[in-house]
Amino acid sequence: MKKYEAIIILNPNLSSKVGEFTKKFEKILADNSFSVKKCEDIGRRQLSYSINNHNKGHYLIFNIEGDPIKLIDVENKIKYDESIIRHLFMIVKEHSEADSQLFLDSKNNKHEIEDDNETTSKSKDSKSKQDDNASNKDSHQSEDDEISNEDQKEEPLTDNIDKEKDDE
Amino acid sequence: MMSKYDLPKNFDYKDINILKQFITETGKIIPARVTGISASNQRKITRYIKIARYLALIPYTDMHK
Repeated sequence: MKKYEAIIILNPNLSSKVGEFTKKFEKILADNSFSVKKCEDIGRRQLSYSINNHNKGHYLIFNIEGDPIKLIDVENKIKYDESIIRHLFMIVKEHSEADSQLFLDSKNNKHEIEDDNETTSKSKDSKSKQDDNASNKDSHQSEDDEISNEDQKEEPLTDNIDKEKDDE
Repeated sequence: MMSKYDLPKNFDYKDINILKQFITETGKIIPARVTGISASNQRKITRYIKIARYLALIPYTDMHK
C-alpha cells in the first residue's frame, strides 16, 4: 500500500459535469481497491500556457491510497479519457490534512469576484480603461474570465469569413 | 549572509506564490548562488517548480503562444 496524490486537469467546457466525473473516477479507483482519503475541487483556473488549445482547466486533487501495481490499470483507463487534459500521480510520504494553498486561493478568488459583482458596478468603467492600457496578455486574460462562452460562438464566425475569402 | 527569502518548513508544488519568487520574469529557475538558500531547499524548489510547470501552474517561458 502506498499513498498517492492525484492531480487531474479537466476540460473546462465540462466544468458543470465535475460531479459525474468524480463519481466515475472514484468508481475506477474503488474497482482497483484504492481508497480515497480526500478530494479537493479547486475549480477553473487560468493555465500558464495553453494545453490542447485550452486556456483554462478545472483542477481536481485526490488523496488516495492503494497498490502500485493496480495504479497502472487506473492510469491506462484515464489515459484515453478525452475529458482529462492532463493528469499526474505522485507518491507522498504523508497525506497533508490541511487544505492546499491552491484550494485556499481559489476560495479567496471566488469571494473577491462575488464582492466585485456586488459593490463595484460603477468602477467597472475605470477597470475597463485600465485593461486597455494593460499589455495584451493581461487584457486577454481578464476578457477570458468574462466571455469564455462568447469565445466559442465567435470561432465559427471567423471560420465562415475565411471560407468566403477562399471562395473569392 | 541573511537570506531574503522566508521559507516555511513544509511547502510543496501547490504553493505557487512561494515558487514564483524563485523564477525570473522569463520563467527560468534562479540559481542557488543568487538565491542563497540552503542546498536542500534549492533542490526542493527546483523539483517543485518542474512539477508545477508540468501542471501549467507556472509558465516554462514567457514565449508561450
